[in-house]
Amino acid sequence: MTVGAIRVEAVSKRFRLERNRPSSLKEAVLRVGRTRDTDEFWVLRDISLEIEAGSFFGLIGHNGSGKSTLLRLMAGIHRPTLGSVEAEGRLSALLELGTGFHPDLTGRENVYLNGAMLGITRRRMTAAMDDIIEFSGIGDFVDEPVKIYSSGMYVRLGFAVAVNVDPDILLIDEVMAVGDEEFQRRCSKHMDMLRGNGTTIVLVSHNTDLMMECHQLGWLDHGQLVEVGDPGDVVSAYLAKVDSTDNTLHTRN
Amino acid sequence: MQLSLIPPLSPSVRKSATLIYHFAEREAKSRYKRSVLGWFWSFLNPLVTVAVYWFIFGAVYRAVPPDTANGNAENFGLYLFTGLIIWTLFTGLVDGSMEWLSSVSDLRKKIYFPTETALLGGAASNLLQTALEVAVLVVIMAALSNISWTLVFLPVAMAPALGFGLGLGFIASVLNARYRDVKYLVGILLNVAFFAVPIVYTPELLEREDVPEIVRILVEWNPVALFIEISRDATYFLQVPLWNRFLAALAWSAATFSIGWVFFRRRSMSISEEP
Repeated sequence: MTVGAIRVEAVSKRFRLERNRPSSLKEAVLRVGRTRDTDEFWVLRDISLEIEAGSFFGLIGHNGSGKSTLLRLMAGIHRPTLGSVEAEGRLSALLELGTGFHPDLTGRENVYLNGAMLGITRRRMTAAMDDIIEFSGIGDFVDEPVKIYSSGMYVRLGFAVAVNVDPDILLIDEVMAVGDEEFQRRCSKHMDMLRGNGTTIVLVSHNTDLMMECHQLGWLDHGQLVEVGDPGDVVSAYLAKVDSTDNTLHTRN
Repeated sequence: MQLSLIPPLSPSVRKSATLIYHFAEREAKSRYKRSVLGWFWSFLNPLVTVAVYWFIFGAVYRAVPPDTANGNAENFGLYLFTGLIIWTLFTGLVDGSMEWLSSVSDLRKKIYFPTETALLGGAASNLLQTALEVAVLVVIMAALSNISWTLVFLPVAMAPALGFGLGLGFIASVLNARYRDVKYLVGILLNVAFFAVPIVYTPELLEREDVPEIVRILVEWNPVALFIEISRDATYFLQVPLWNRFLAALAWSAATFSIGWVFFRRRSMSISEEP
């Protein structure tokens, strides 16, 4: 597989619902021998997807359609219940708030920790540190524990790390909306630069304008991949579906 | 393209090594964070421990310790300390593993990294603490001139203790991520186990008529007791450890570590799905 490519093959992901799971040893022991009434929930069903190296791929779908779970599977955070996910090369991910930060460590320590998780040596992180601090615009706060950061600072630092570690693949989940206008512009400028350098970007967003810039778009609905293709077609199909649901709601009222 | 005679480390190995170092450093730094004396506590703590046991068992109880090699260092405090070093290493690994894994479990929900690096890093920092305690012991023993080349067997006792402790730590930490009561259960079991190991008593104490054979076997052949006997041979009795003890220690350690490792690798991916 080429560096930067992602292959998702017949992937299904099942989560167990917590309400019936034993949470203490006592409960677990008392339950031995009884039938398991654990509720299961299939978040994703039979997803197959090839994302080419260097492409800009978008994922749309309603809340709870499985977009974030698919991104987490690509990031290696979860293991698929069925099927396989392969992502070649250095992968940097921005999933929800506070991506991979340890609350007790300072911003600077977290930057090193993040680097270590990506396999980047301390020396190289030190070299990138000024750029990261500059980009995030958090200034002296970099030496304060991240638990005192505002959500905007959190995201800015996270983004600054993710884009400054020279990733082959960048996964982004809805985080850009948190930063202010100026930061958002800086982010999209930087993403353009990464795209120019051949970084594969996978983006989850509800912002259809932004999604139109993708090379390809995937539409997830209730854990199934309904359509993959040209952003224009997929967005209009998605919006048509949203409209029709909307209409049903209206007629019912 | 650059040619190199040494094959480059695989990226995943290098990544793990960087992470292990990071976690070890973090653990070591946090140990004496905001303390004035810092790492000096690591020396002071074992020193005071020896002094207290020296006084309690030597002066108050007048417990009779076994003869040392040169007949100079007979002191129950020292006898106890040789065992305590290994015991602390072992329990520190089992207790620590649960702590180390739960301290990174939130992080692991947001980013992928091999979670075993947190445990291995923690273990490395514990090993550093043990090394300091060993240094204290060696200095005391040297001062009493009860020291010999058999000291080389001390690492032979520590390595299996490390493997055994980590093996159990791997299992305990994964179970504790699921059921939080595992931590308390392990705490109680370790308290009981402390007395199944000849630390505060000598194995000779059990060689009485009224002690059931099974108790004697349990105490003599349980893994931690084996590690302790080897370490005592190395530092207290100054004799070459029995080879069958050494083999048994190695077998316990290798088996426990392998089982723990496999268990951990199979279950650690689901840590990101725990609530």
